Order: sequence, then C-alpha cells, then structure tokens
Amino acid sequence: MLHKVLEIRNLTATAYALRIERKKVSFKAGQCFNLGLKNSGVNREYSIYSGENDSCLEFLVKEIKEGIVSPSLRQVTLGEEINLHGPYGSFVIDPVKIKQVKFYFICTGTGIAPFHSFIRSHPNLDYQIINGIRFLNERYDYDEYHPLKITTCISREKWAGFHGRLTNYLPEIPIDTKSIFYICGNQKMIQEAYVILRKKKVSGNHIFTEAFF
Amino acid sequence: MKIAFSYPPIINSDGQKAMVSQNRNVQFFMKPTYLLPIIQGQAATWLRDMGYNVFWDDGNSQLKTFDCWYLDLIEASPDVIVFESTTPVMKFYWNIVNKIKSDLPHCTVIMTGYHSMRKPQETLRSSSTDVVLRSNHIDFVLQKLIPYIDENSQWRENCPIEGLVIRVDENNFHDTGNFKQIETLDLSPDVDRDLVQWKNYAYENGNFLQTPGTYATSVVRDCMFGKCSFCRYNGPDLTFSMRSVQKSLDEYQKLIEDYGAREIFDDSGVWYRGAEAREFAQGIIDRGLNKKDCYFGFNTRFGYLEEDTIALLAKANFRFVLVGLEAADEETLHRLNKGYGPKDSEQNLKLYTKYGLFPHLTIMVGYFWQTREQLNTTIDTVKRFMFEGLARTLQVTICTPIDFTPYHQECIDQKMLLTNDYDDFDMSKLIVKTPIPHNDYYDAIRNIYGIAFHPKFIFKQIQFLFQFKKRDWQFLFTYGIRAIRRVRQHIFNLTKQQSNKVTTSITPRSNQQR
Repeated sequence: MLHKVLEIRNLTATAYALRIERKKVSFKAGQCFNLGLKNSGVNREYSIYSGENDSCLEFLVKEIKEGIVSPSLRQVTLGEEINLHGPYGSFVIDPVKIKQVKFYFICTGTGIAPFHSFIRSHPNLDYQIINGIRFLNERYDYDEYHPLKITTCISREKWAGFHGRLTNYLPEIPIDTKSIFYICGNQKMIQEAYVILRKKKVSGNHIFTEAFF
Repeated sequence: MKIAFSYPPIINSDGQKAMVSQNRNVQFFMKPTYLLPIIQGQAATWLRDMGYNVFWDDGNSQLKTFDCWYLDLIEASPDVIVFESTTPVMKFYWNIVNKIKSDLPHCTVIMTGYHSMRKPQETLRSSSTDVVLRSNHIDFVLQKLIPYIDENSQWRENCPIEGLVIRVDENNFHDTGNFKQIETLDLSPDVDRDLVQWKNYAYENGNFLQTPGTYATSVVRDCMFGKCSFCRYNGPDLTFSMRSVQKSLDEYQKLIEDYGAREIFDDSGVWYRGAEAREFAQGIIDRGLNKKDCYFGFNTRFGYLEEDTIALLAKANFRFVLVGLEAADEETLHRLNKGYGPKDSEQNLKLYTKYGLFPHLTIMVGYFWQTREQLNTTIDTVKRFMFEGLARTLQVTICTPIDFTPYHQECIDQKMLLTNDYDDFDMSKLIVKTPIPHNDYYDAIRNIYGIAFHPKFIFKQIQFLFQFKKRDWQFLFTYGIRAIRRVRQHIFNLTKQQSNKVTTSITPRSNQQR
C-alpha cells in the first residue's frame, strides 16, 4: 500500500521521525510495519511510534550509514508516496494486564519506539522507562513522558543523571518481580538485561523482547 | 552417558518415506531427499565435545529399514534419545516413544520440534516422553540439560533450566518456563561433519546442482522476519539470533577445502541481508572461495536484498536463491503477513537473474480463503516468471496448517479444519474448507509443475545456454534430468486421492530377525 509522507522530523544526525498518512490502517501498539521506497522492491521493518488512535502513522528511524532504506526514506519529499505493509508482530500489551500490573520498558536508542506507542495508546498505563542512549540529544520527544517515569542512562556523555550503560544501572535498582518487562533495542543489551532480570527473580514468562537489527 | 539423536524411518501405506524438507516441513516421498538436521547436528557436536558418547542415528539417511533401525537403537541402549517431530508424524512418535520406553525403561526420551514445543502437555499426556523442549535452541538447552540429568538424581523435580516441560510422574509435569536465547549463537559449534556422516546427505537433494553438497550451519535462527502466518518460525516464543559472519566464513572454508563440498546451502529461515550479506560475500571473495568450484545458496525474502548486494553475491559465486512466492494477490499476501506486495516479487527476481542467480520459487496453494481468481493469479504469475526466465525452478505445495502456527490456529478458531487426525497433515491433500473444490487446487499444482515440460520454459533454458556460463549448461543437462523425476514425484504426491496412514510396524524385540 502507498502512503504519502506528511512530515520528516530530523531529531539528530542519525535519527528522524517519519510521519505518513494513516488511511484506514489499524494496528496494536508495539507492532511493526515494512517500509520502503515506492517501486524499489526493498523494504525494512520499523516499529510503530505513534499511538493507536493517532491520525497519522509515525516511525522513529535510525539512519544506518551503509543502509539502503533508512537513508532513502529520509530523503523523500513531502507528499511523495512510500510503500507500507503490515502491521506485524506480537510485541504488544495485553489490555487485561494494564490495570493489574506495572510495566517496565527497557530500551536503547530507537528501541523506545514501541514504548512511545504504548504510552500514547494507553494513557493510564503504569510504566517506568529505562532508556539507554549514548548522547543527551538522543532523548527523543521526552516532553511526552512523565518526567518521573523515565530514567535515562547516558553512556558517552556526562550529565546530571546516570552516566553509564543501562545494564550497569539495572542491577542497582529495586524491581517488583510481579511487574511485566518489555525490552527493545540491540540484541546484546537484551541478552544482558534479561540475565539481570532473571537474577532478580523475574520470571521468564514476564519478560518480552524485540531485537532491532 | 550415551545420547542418541534419532530419526526413525517412517513409511506410509504408499511405501513413501517421511522426509524433512525445506524449513523442516515433513512430506512423504518415494525417492527421498535427505536434509541434514543442523541444530540437532550442533547439539550432537556440542555434547560430544563435552565428553558424552553421541550416537548419530538417522535411519533415513543411513538407508535402514524401520526394523533394522529399531533393533540397532535398542542394541545401542542409549541413556537419552532425542527426537525431532512435527504435526504429521506426532502420532507415530508417540507410539514409538511408548514402545521404546517399554524396551528401554531406563532411557530418557526428549522430544523436540515445533509442534511439541507449542503443545508440550499434549505430548506428555499422549506418550511416555520424559521431557519436551519448549525451545528451538535445542543445542543450548541440551548442553545444560544433559549434564544436569547426569549429575542430579532428582532432576525431574528440581531442574532449573528454562524451556522444558518435564514428566515428574505419570500425571505431574514440571514446567520450567519460557526459554530465551541469551547466549551468542557463536558459542554453539559448527556441525561435526564426520559425526553426522555428512556424505549421507550430500547427494540426494534436489537443491544441489553439484555434488557433494552440504548444508551450512545456519547463520540465522530461525528467521529475522518471523511474521509469516503459515510459518513455524513465528511467535512470541521465538527469538531471532544471528551467527557472526567470520565464524560462518571459517566454516565455509573448511567445508570446501577439507571436505570437498561443491555446493553449500544455508537453510536459515532467511539469510543475511544488508551489511552482513555484503560482508559475507566479500569474505568469500577475499578468501578465494568463489574460485573453488563451489556454488552457494540460501533462503531469502522479497524485499530483503538490493542490487549492490545481489551483484556482490553473484561475484562470490552464489547461485541458488530460494524465495517464497506464496501468492501473487495483495489480499493473500496481506493475510499471510508476507510484508511485500505483488510488484516486489518481479522487481526482485529481475535483479537476481540480471546477475545470474537462480531463483527458486516456493509456492503454496489451498489457503482456506483462496478464490479461483486468486488461484489463477498465482498460476498466471508463476508461468510468466518461469517463461520469462525470472525464476529457474520452483516447488509448489499445499498450504497445510501445522505446528500451531498462527495460520494453523486461525484454521482452528474459524473451524476451517476438515480433520483433527495429525496423520492427515502431511501436505499430501487439502485439509481445510475452501471456496472452490479441492480438485481445482490439485489441478493448479499439476499445471504449475507442468511448466517444466512447456516448450516456452525449455526454450528459455536453451536460450540461457548462449550466455556460455557453466551453471546454465549444468542446469539443463544435469538438473533437468533429475528434475523430471522429482516433478513426477511431487505431482503423484500432491494429487493422489486415497488416504494414507502410517503403517510402520513395531515388532516386539524377541520376534526380530535380521
């Protein structure tokens, strides 16, 4: 399906938010779509960034220097159509659980995308984000999160908050093992975070992961 | 401890053998194809490296009769037997497990495979199986589980290893929870080719243009897309894992230089793409492996490879690209979660063939919603691709709901299944309700396979000869003859009307004569 590009928000040198027309697409927060240039025959998977009830579809995209799709999408002109397929995936929230438990969202870089969609879709969600980034300017759309509900771990730049990787932060904090944990981002972080949570006696049945590659 | 990785010969009433085919689907064939079970091979190698006595027991590739296989297994008297099963052979495996436990009561039987992984309690209730693995990472689980069993007499009650459902006693099972692949895939060893008797798998495989061929240790487990609804590599219980390019290249080098492999296929659900694919291709070139008269092949998806990568792969002597063309209409592709549109397939195929790759289409028919118009679109599209030389080979199967994939679950939920007998799930006939008669789908299959004998297709292959590339000549004269036999077998298989039940007899040991 072809969708017009409405806006491209340049967030950093390597990340941008791509907004396209929604048409009649329905999805669950946390799912992903395949995006590609029209007639290119090539596409890649991106997690939905916007909420289930938003009027458009938005994606948070990391531009891969040697990539094919992410640099090209960034160069698309407004009004130009791109290819969209989906939604896919089961990295979603069980709506029954929303009123029952607290959710921990652990992510690196653009791995925050599905959690942004969760929060926009479920305003009453009891959540805590633990976001691992390299630099201060990678705090994408932070005005949309409650300031007490997002903890940022910055690995390559000193600041007033936690300096280091989130996998150094996570072992030090108390965790309610009845919570549900979603981890999204690079595979190595997911593996390390999973081990930390299991050591803290979090059940494997309470941990859901989505690796970006 | 002695551990057996066992594959019993399973024969149906037509005298056909159950064979694991691409993506671990099981079909019955008179003239089988022997596919090396890669993850089981890795598990076997790992346990052997840990000091265990491993018995590689593939009765199919070792050309044993069932009785001979069974006798040999009983005589070997392993402490642990590891089976791999899937929906169409579940009942057989339940029966054989019960028989084995009767003849070898001390033996611990472990069931792997996607069906039992998703319904472990069913297998434990239906048979005397001791452990069901809830993970596809059999190697990583077994390398923890076997030592635990070896060292703990109370292992059934106390085992902390994730991803298992363990029989504590007849009615009580211990579920250790979800398994998450948290260790790097590089930790699992390359398959030891001598241990698995690799040459038993090196010749009878329709994917090989040159032999001996072999399957590489898969670089991706199982599929980085993992969303197609009919595919077993789909589900929240699965995690995508990738092997490092350098480790894979090292194995390819060894397979070519030490084992003399002339064709290597990677049966990962989907192979590398982007930077990894280019790094791999460049690595093949830098090591000179592209000039060692060995072809390479892999599975991919439409939309995954772009021109620069394809060009580099071609330069690296890649040949065989197996790609799913499960339908040619937008609605079906959308319902299957394929992630691409009808136009993408042609664009991709043009690029593959532009650089001399041999696309092999894997086609399916018989979805419970598939109309005559949709079916005809598939047939017409496939014909056009084959006649225009945009694909070189194909296989077409009936889409069978198996292993509790999303499609299988959808068929259950919407009451589309015509049978609940797992023996019927062998891809030999349609088992779902359809909007048009089943015979129409069988006719479509005959029609599609008939392309191999169509003058336009044959003429196109002759045209290719004038490019004066060795692989085109090989294709026509070597593969062509082999293909005729296989096409006839597929047509017989998929269009026979009589029902087939597995009839392999299990004779009590005392009555056996060899």
